[in-house]
Amino acid sequence: MTLTGMILKMSEGLGRTCAIFFLTLLFSLPLGLVVALLRMSKNRVVQAVTKVYISILRGTPLMLQLIAVAYGPFYLFGYTLLVKQKLLAIIIAFALNYAAYFAEIYRGGIESMPVGQYEAAHVLGYSKGQTFMRIILPQVVKRILPSVTNEVITLVKDTSMAFTLAYMEMFSIGKQIANSQSSFMPFVIAGGFYYLMNSVVAFAMSRCEKALGYYR
Amino acid sequence: MKKLLSIALVMLFVLAGCACAEGFTFKMGIDAEYPPYSYLDDNGEYAGFDVEMCQKVCDILGWNLEIVPINWDTKDIQLDAEEIDCIWSGLTVYANGITEDRFTISTPYSDNSQMILTKKGTGIESFDDLAGKTVGVQMGTSAEAALTGDGEAAALGATFGTLQPYENYNIAFTDLQAGAIDAIAVDAPVANDKINKYGDDYYCLDESFASEKYGICFRKADTELCAQVEGAYMQLVEDGTYLALGEKYELDTSFLVLAAK
Repeated sequence: MTLTGMILKMSEGLGRTCAIFFLTLLFSLPLGLVVALLRMSKNRVVQAVTKVYISILRGTPLMLQLIAVAYGPFYLFGYTLLVKQKLLAIIIAFALNYAAYFAEIYRGGIESMPVGQYEAAHVLGYSKGQTFMRIILPQVVKRILPSVTNEVITLVKDTSMAFTLAYMEMFSIGKQIANSQSSFMPFVIAGGFYYLMNSVVAFAMSRCEKALGYYR
Repeated sequence: MKKLLSIALVMLFVLAGCACAEGFTFKMGIDAEYPPYSYLDDNGEYAGFDVEMCQKVCDILGWNLEIVPINWDTKDIQLDAEEIDCIWSGLTVYANGITEDRFTISTPYSDNSQMILTKKGTGIESFDDLAGKTVGVQMGTSAEAALTGDGEAAALGATFGTLQPYENYNIAFTDLQAGAIDAIAVDAPVANDKINKYGDDYYCLDESFASEKYGICFRKADTELCAQVEGAYMQLVEDGTYLALGEKYELDTSFLVLAAK
C-alpha cells in the first residue's frame, strides 16, 4: 500500500473520530456543570453519591468503561442496542467519563470565587440563580479555560480508545493497515493527524481566552 | 441548545444507523489484522482467504455480505449480541473456549501448525536450542495457550528463558529483527507471510509444537445457518475454488484438509 493510499484510507475514519470528539464535548461540558453543582450540594447524600461517581469514573480506565457500557447491559439484561450502536455506547462512556473530570475543574473554578462577590450580589438584590448565572459563571469560565483546554486536547487523543469496541475510527483503521501491511507507517500518520487536530484545538482555545480577556 | 441537541441526535442516528439492504445480510466477523486470512489489502479493501471464501459462499446462497471487523478479545460477546452472525477469520476451534457445548462449529476447513520462527545467526536449529531463550508470542492466540497450558507443548514452553507476550505479531517481529528476542511462536501461515515479505534471513524450525484446526463459529442456536454455509462451502471445494484461493493467498495447501477428501 502506498503512503498516499494509507493516508486516504485512514482519513475515511476521520469523520468518526470527529463525531466522537464533538459529541463528547457537547454532552460532557453541560453534564460536568450539573455534576459539579451536585458535588457542592448541601445535601450530604447527594454529595456522597456524586463523590462516588467521580471517584469511579476517574479511578478506572476509560477502556474498561467502554466495555462496561457496551456489554454490561447485554450481559445483565440481554439489551443489545449498545452493542449494535457502537457510537451511542462510545458517546455515553466518553461523556460520563469526561463529565467527571470537567466537574472537578468547574468546582475548582467556582470555589475560587471570593465570598465577597456573593455578599455584594445579595446586597444589590440579585437572587441566588441570577448571582450564579450572571456574576459567578462568566468569571469561572474565564478562569478554568486553560484546564479545560488540557482536557479537550486529551480527548482528541483518547478518541483512539474507540478501537476497544472495534469502531472504525481513524486509529482503528491505522492499526488494521499496520498489521496487514507489516508497517509502522500508519502510526506515524496517526500521530500527524492527532497533532494537526490538536493544533486547531489549541488555536481555537487561545482565541477564546483572548476574547474573554476583556478586563486586561 | 435545543437545535444543537437535535443536530447531535440526527448525527448519532445517521452515523450509527445500519445500511439496510434487501434480503438476508450475513454479517461476517473478522480479525482484520490477520493476513493472509483476513486483512486490509493494498487498495484498502478487506481481503484474504477467509474473506473471499465467505464472499463466494454468500454469492451461492444469494445473501448480502457485510464484513464486520471485531475486537478479538470480545468476539464471543459480539457473536452472542448478534452484532455478527459468525466468527470466520483463521479461528482455532475446539480450543480456547470455542467449544461445541457453547457454539455451533462448522466442519474444520484447514489444519494449522504452530511453528517457531527465528532468524539466521541465533543458532537455533531445534527445540532443544530454545532452552533459556526469549520467545515472543501474541497474547490470546492458540500459540500462547499451547505453550502456557497443560498440554504437551507446555513442557517446551517451560524450557524457554522468557515467554514474552506481545499485543500483535507486527511488534513481535520487529523485536525479532532488532534482536530483542530470539524467536517467535506463531501460526504457520502467519510465519510464512513474514518470511515471504522479509526474505531468507528468517526461517521456521521443521518441527511444529502443536497443531489445531480452523473452523467457522456460529451461535449455538444457528445450526441451520451453519448447515447452509457448510453446504455452499463444499460446493466451492468441489469446483476447485477452495484450492485455487489457497494458492492465491500462498497457504500451505497440505493444510487444506477438505480438498483431500
